[in-house]
Amino acid sequence: MPVLTVASSKGGPGKTTLAQVLLASLAGDLRVLAIDADPTQALARWATKTYEGPPFEALAEPDETKLAHLIAARAEDVDLVVVDTAGFGNRAATVAMTSADVVLVPSLAGEADVTEAEKTVRLVEGLSRAARRDIPARVVLNRVKRTTLAKHAAGEIASAGLQRLSATLSDLVAYGEMTYSGRLPLAGPSVAEIAALLAELRAAGWVPTSSHHHVTA
Amino acid sequence: MRTTLKPRSATARPSAEDALAIARTIAPSQPPAQVTDIDRPATLNLRFRSSTVAALTARAKERGLTLKQVVSHALADAGVAVAEADMEDRTPRRRGG
Repeated sequence: MPVLTVASSKGGPGKTTLAQVLLASLAGDLRVLAIDADPTQALARWATKTYEGPPFEALAEPDETKLAHLIAARAEDVDLVVVDTAGFGNRAATVAMTSADVVLVPSLAGEADVTEAEKTVRLVEGLSRAARRDIPARVVLNRVKRTTLAKHAAGEIASAGLQRLSATLSDLVAYGEMTYSGRLPLAGPSVAEIAALLAELRAAGWVPTSSHHHVTA
Repeated sequence: MRTTLKPRSATARPSAEDALAIARTIAPSQPPAQVTDIDRPATLNLRFRSSTVAALTARAKERGLTLKQVVSHALADAGVAVAEADMEDRTPRRRGG
């Protein structure tokens, strides 16, 4: 079943937030497994201590060797594996990208974010060639504001030849609140954004449309 | 006889071993996500009776070990987790000495 890795060699573009949105949105319909490969364990901590939605399993594993075996062992047990990674170039993140069926690369609009997003996508391209396997990488613009800066960042991403999702996450308080409340936003513009994100991922076949496993709601 | 045509590219997820090998090949200089603490040296001073020191010295001479090695080996034999580095003779040597 698909392995979706969230990665960027820069810290702070919203990797864990994106993983949280995906896991919380999909846990009711699919059997999802969260693997936190970031030593800070922000995702695993949130999943076990704060999250209040439909249950999903969350594991923490920053060691690249154990992570590689964990992904290989568990990918067939669930409908979707979401791997969150640390915000710097590291072995565990590289292994998670190598084992992925798609890599989502969140990026803010700033120059450093777009530059690191490009580095991450180039690394995925190299891993894809070495594995002789298509590993698509898509930039996801995060904390987007309707500004000239956001348009410029989108243009820079396009001119670098990077592919990005049409869906974006705006600079909304709702996403920050989710990290404390453990609940997905139920109203406001974030609801439509999350729906658009899931629809795009499902249409591309990176997120299953239905479960092959018993889902405990 | 029918020719077997192989796919241009693999579609299956690589095995754990292959994923690790690919990651090491493509990005060999990357650090681990979590660095374990370096086992730095620390000092432990112990006061023994002269007779004990003499016995330790005799045993060290007999076995061609340092005093520290004799103590470390005895502790390891008693089940204490002694670091490998403490089991070796790491006495600084003069060049050409």
